[in-house]
Amino acid sequence: MTTTATMPTQTRMKVKPFYFNTSANLLRITQQKANSLSELLAALQECPEGSIFQHTFRTLQEHHFIREGFSNDFAHWALSACNEPSLAEGLASVDVREFTSVADLRARFVQIVEDFLQRVPAAGPRAAKETFYFCSSNTVVIPTSFVANSLYEFAEGLRGVSVHCIHHHFIEARLRLKLMSNDFSQWLYEDLGLTEAARQLNRIDIYTLTLEDVREQIIRIVERALI
Amino acid sequence: MEPVESQTRAESTVAERSSDQSTASAAPATSLPRVERRRNPRTWETPPAPVPPTHLDDYKAIVGAAEIDELKFLASTLKGRTVKMVNSTAVGGGVAEMLNQLVPLLKELEVDTHWDVITGGNDFFEVTKAFHNALQGSEYNLTQHARDIFLMHNEQNRQRIQFTEDFIVIHDPQPAALIRERQKSPQRWIWRCHIDLSNPNPDVWGFLRPFIEQYDAAIFSSQSFARQLPIPQYLFYPCIDPLSEKNKEIDDSFVQQVCDEFGIDRSRPIVTQVSRFDRAKDPVGVIQAFKQARKYVDCQLVMAGGGATDDPEGSAVLKEVKEAAGDDRDIIILDLPPWCALEINALQRASTIIVQKSIKEGFGLTVTEALWKGKPTIAGAVGGIPNQIIHKLTGALVHSVDGCAYQIRYLLTHPDFAKQLGQNGHEHVKENFLMSTNVRRWLLLLRILLAGVAK
Repeated sequence: MTTTATMPTQTRMKVKPFYFNTSANLLRITQQKANSLSELLAALQECPEGSIFQHTFRTLQEHHFIREGFSNDFAHWALSACNEPSLAEGLASVDVREFTSVADLRARFVQIVEDFLQRVPAAGPRAAKETFYFCSSNTVVIPTSFVANSLYEFAEGLRGVSVHCIHHHFIEARLRLKLMSNDFSQWLYEDLGLTEAARQLNRIDIYTLTLEDVREQIIRIVERALI
Repeated sequence: MEPVESQTRAESTVAERSSDQSTASAAPATSLPRVERRRNPRTWETPPAPVPPTHLDDYKAIVGAAEIDELKFLASTLKGRTVKMVNSTAVGGGVAEMLNQLVPLLKELEVDTHWDVITGGNDFFEVTKAFHNALQGSEYNLTQHARDIFLMHNEQNRQRIQFTEDFIVIHDPQPAALIRERQKSPQRWIWRCHIDLSNPNPDVWGFLRPFIEQYDAAIFSSQSFARQLPIPQYLFYPCIDPLSEKNKEIDDSFVQQVCDEFGIDRSRPIVTQVSRFDRAKDPVGVIQAFKQARKYVDCQLVMAGGGATDDPEGSAVLKEVKEAAGDDRDIIILDLPPWCALEINALQRASTIIVQKSIKEGFGLTVTEALWKGKPTIAGAVGGIPNQIIHKLTGALVHSVDGCAYQIRYLLTHPDFAKQLGQNGHEHVKENFLMSTNVRRWLLLLRILLAGVAK
């Protein structure tokens, strides 16, 4: 089936290929740790940006199979080790896609914990049931064998790559692009002129879906654009 | 299963339960010692033949072709580089088992990897065993004599072993002082610590620390095991091999056969703990939790372990376990030899719920095995277990007998939730705790050290 022939954008001009890459990460243990919410706040303010990235963007990737109930490590720890559900809810509501810089993301977490400790100062020094160990990661970008020169090949690539590749292009990308977007939407919009498909991709809710679900939704949107 | 045999098993079950529910004095007359409950038991006088080594492409069906392609790409950037692994034993123990799998896979990826084992007399291994225990928190009086023995044997091995490779990986404390061989060339030395250093004996750690600080990187199995060190520290979770006897897919007819042999009724819920008869695994606590839970839900308990024949403490613990079980015919205690991996696999797959109620634990690979088999798992929140079990998402973490009993009841009466935990647990293992992930971590680390971006 040569559905790409029906795409006017691709018959008009030569499309810039989309190269599917993925990233592999190696976890590093840092020196920071927290045994209470006060210590968490101090560590959040001082830790390297790599740690903020690790416990938000990266941990979402590590737990890509969980559909509901996991957002980031800070929220999980606030609930499971500190038994502070309202703080956990606040931390869990942070959507990493609203941030194009780790510095801004850090500031948001610091603000949430500060606000909570102002409201409930007694919670600050209370010992947590488990220590929070701050980690970071070394990342290596890896090319895959998938390259798309057409929307059809793009859909094929989406089916063949690993979920880590989906995370790399769809979730992490905004930190590289410094845009409220992702590599897939950018390519659909800038190179194929598919504004609506690009917009629909950006509306996929990564916090209520597994990464496999995300992949399927992206493919469905791309397939609709193929018709 | 033959229909006639099913009938017999069903009748037997009714009889066992009615004896349980009758007066206590009736039970001893009808119950049999647990080993006698097995029908047609297999003979285990000799271990089975070794399993042929696995190949990288064998993992494609499990982790996907894309994952294997990533490994090949990472390895291609290391082509021509050489690695030497050094540890203290070629057989037995988790480190040797892991190296037996890892080294051939790295070679298959054309990362030329050698494996050397240090030698030493009884005096050396007595000292290193004491060091091992002390580093995990035991009391120990470090003498100058012990230091001398440790250094003398390390020196002998340093002179005996050639260290010409690009990467030297030293496993555990025994060969740690080999770092003195380090040349001023761009050779990279890595210390892989497989033990829990969260609360080490200060004298022993103080003695070893100056050696460790000379390495380029250290690797630990859990964040909590790491120490304050001036070198980069990495987190490598221990892993399981999904193609091993213990974890590979097996035919349900074999699962049924094993259950028949051990007198386990698959028509009723099965709660299982697989672990050595060791107080750290709290086997008596498991029995107490099971007895509490069974007041509300029908179930059987399988306690499958080993270590009772070659370990005096194991034998004593087994005795305690049998006493705690009493004449309860729904508690099946199995003291298995170490080469029963396939039977353990079958028992885990037959289980409705798997428990690992440890009160002290290293990483807890039996938890990994249970999660891999998609089983809802209840485990003590100790050691590396919280890395594997995210409470209510990939399993249930417990802190007490009461908590364990409640989770058994809850999961047995909420099968959809239990199933979801099992599915999430399987995916968690696939993502983080398989041999293929371990290979990826090694390739990444070598590449990162080669590029000099670790510092």
